[in-house]
Amino acid sequence: MESNSILLRQALKSGISRRNVLQGLGSTSLAASLSLPLAKRASATDPVTLRWWSPQASPDQLKMYQTQIATFEAAHPGVKVAFEPTSDEGYPAQLAAAFASKQLPNVVTHLPSFAAQNYYGQGLLEPMDAVIKAIGEDMYFPGANDVYKTADGHYCGTPIGNTAADMLWLRKDLMRKAGIDKAPQTWDELRMACQKMQGGGIFGAPLPYGLNSMTSLIFIGFIHRAGGQIFSPDLAVAIDSQPTYDALEFYKSMRGFCPPGATNYSWGESLTAFVSGATATGIYAGRVLANVTQQNPGIADSVTCATYPTISKDVASWTFNDFPSVFIPKDIANMAETKAFAAFLFEPKGYIPQLLAAPGHVLPVLKTIAEDPTYLANPIIHKYTAEVTLMAGAAAAGKNLGYETDKHKPNLKANEIIASNVIAELVQRVVLNGEDAKATVGDIAKKLEALMKA
Amino acid sequence: MTTYATQDRTRNPLERRYALLGVALIAPTVLILCAVIVYPLVSAIDLSLFSIYTPTLKGNWVGLDNYMQVLGSSGFWGALGTTVVWTVGTLLLQIVFGVAMALLLNQNILFRSLARSLVLFPYFVSTVVAVLIWRWLFNDLYGILSHLLIQLGVVDMPVDWLGKMPNAMESVIFVGAWKFFPFVVIAVLARLQTIPEQLYEAATIDGAGVFGRFFDVTLPQLRDVLTIVILLRTIWDFKEFDLIYLLTGGGPVNSTRTLPLIVYQQAFGLNQMGVAATYAVAMMVVMLAFMLIYLYQARRQTP
Repeated sequence: MESNSILLRQALKSGISRRNVLQGLGSTSLAASLSLPLAKRASATDPVTLRWWSPQASPDQLKMYQTQIATFEAAHPGVKVAFEPTSDEGYPAQLAAAFASKQLPNVVTHLPSFAAQNYYGQGLLEPMDAVIKAIGEDMYFPGANDVYKTADGHYCGTPIGNTAADMLWLRKDLMRKAGIDKAPQTWDELRMACQKMQGGGIFGAPLPYGLNSMTSLIFIGFIHRAGGQIFSPDLAVAIDSQPTYDALEFYKSMRGFCPPGATNYSWGESLTAFVSGATATGIYAGRVLANVTQQNPGIADSVTCATYPTISKDVASWTFNDFPSVFIPKDIANMAETKAFAAFLFEPKGYIPQLLAAPGHVLPVLKTIAEDPTYLANPIIHKYTAEVTLMAGAAAAGKNLGYETDKHKPNLKANEIIASNVIAELVQRVVLNGEDAKATVGDIAKKLEALMKA
Repeated sequence: MTTYATQDRTRNPLERRYALLGVALIAPTVLILCAVIVYPLVSAIDLSLFSIYTPTLKGNWVGLDNYMQVLGSSGFWGALGTTVVWTVGTLLLQIVFGVAMALLLNQNILFRSLARSLVLFPYFVSTVVAVLIWRWLFNDLYGILSHLLIQLGVVDMPVDWLGKMPNAMESVIFVGAWKFFPFVVIAVLARLQTIPEQLYEAATIDGAGVFGRFFDVTLPQLRDVLTIVILLRTIWDFKEFDLIYLLTGGGPVNSTRTLPLIVYQQAFGLNQMGVAATYAVAMMVVMLAFMLIYLYQARRQTP
């Protein structure tokens, strides 16, 4: 009432008529006195809308998401789910803007595990422990949630799948023609194979040399496959080492086997190059299988994959798994419904079709699903059982910049390092510009140190 | 002073009411200008004095440290140079193409109305769509440009249009010119239609040829409109983001990374909103300086 009398005095001073002011105050008081019951009634009748973001949004996947959404909405009257696609290159910007403006999605899926660690480290995510419990911790493959463990003993996310993102894709028909009897295991063998298979309008490989996240993520794998690392287990910059120089040397030697436009390649271009038959080998995840089947069936029977070769047989293979995640931003509205929806995404009836929308690309993280006859009966999974099994094994042992080895601490700056393109810059400067490797690696190491301190 | 004070006191009530009415009428405009220009400007300057993590918008006061960091980095000066090359390159092409096309469309040619409508197409089409089309044309494996050049025997291998220098900068400049030259056409064509025919007749009688009429009649008549067109297009091209970002992402090796791309990367890639604001303020100062010099020169040359 005190505030009402102040408002009245101010309004009268400004020349508004007493009648108008009293009418206004009367309606305000009425609204205030009704606000609680109205709010309650509103929450009971107005639909709750949950926003779901994901960069995995091919037409087939979108169709399956819509089916999952429809099933969830039917089971939860009054709750609506709106799917909004994001992208692998654009999500850091979109999420940064969303967090800053507090216009947040309720659920975010298929982003790398290090993105979840990064945002959780800044206090921006809700712990996922309750969701994992609702799904059933014992349903996951052992250790599947390890990359999401946080320093405070919670989980910042949970995997919605596994992806072996840098498998070596091969064409058996071209290998036969070139007299190659087995998949290359070392870089020398790969280079030789590319040399033999290149020609007649077909290039050897579609390695990315663009200034983008794919080049960074893929080249990190090459450093590991040379026996090196970007950071030491306690997260000191360790890129300035012989394996990095070896990886750069190899990457440079492969430039002649890649299409001219590979200097601007990202995921889409690299995938298309192999699927269209323009390159003899490919570097990608399991989406190749569905795309080849649909877009270039003529080569579908000849396609196979292997783990990407290493510098020598003594160096263990290293597969990039971005551990596609599910996480929930903190302080969003309708948290209970959001958690229910996040857990619902793993219900077999919806989860299996979702995985099968891109068969072999996003691999199951739940044991029960991997063994489910419905999942295994998919024609592509059935046809390429050996490849899918190989990818599942490689992905399960896979790592990424947020978690380089089992000994490493989670790197909370991995998201910013990838978004900064410094690793891609290293590749471009040494491979494309021909700058001195030693000096450039030293320069990049300084940039990495600055990013870790920022 | 005394005189003014006396005048003010002796002003009649009607005049005072008119003065108040004037203030009341202009107030909404002033308030809107403050909200859309002054507030964002002050806000950007304020942000540039802090170290701010974008997702949380939390941070601490760093004073002029961001400015020292930005102005002391080779990244800023390199990107400024790239921005100038892009702006000057694309602007020159836009003016040349735009004036040439306007002169053509001012002639009594067949299907003139249709041609006048079609020439506006690049300007109206969304940048994302335009870039997508150009990326297809430039593609090394199935792009028509490389295919044509190979068919004509000009090159043996597909050309790397966007992945190496100077091709990348030339491609970006060319696509920018294609996208934005219709703006020049619209403005110049409108002015061409108002140039009195007698001026051309007089020049012809004096023995002026085609080039003479263009340089001695048309160009001086276009001076004012070109001054405005160049001013506006320089501002817009200097801060162009989407076309360059979508075509090259700033590569290869930051060779096409202009200042707006750095602002974006700092703000949303590296989550350093304070540093991004510093780049933005520095950009504004540079642009302001260019504009003042340009306007000063343009006014000095006006007879």
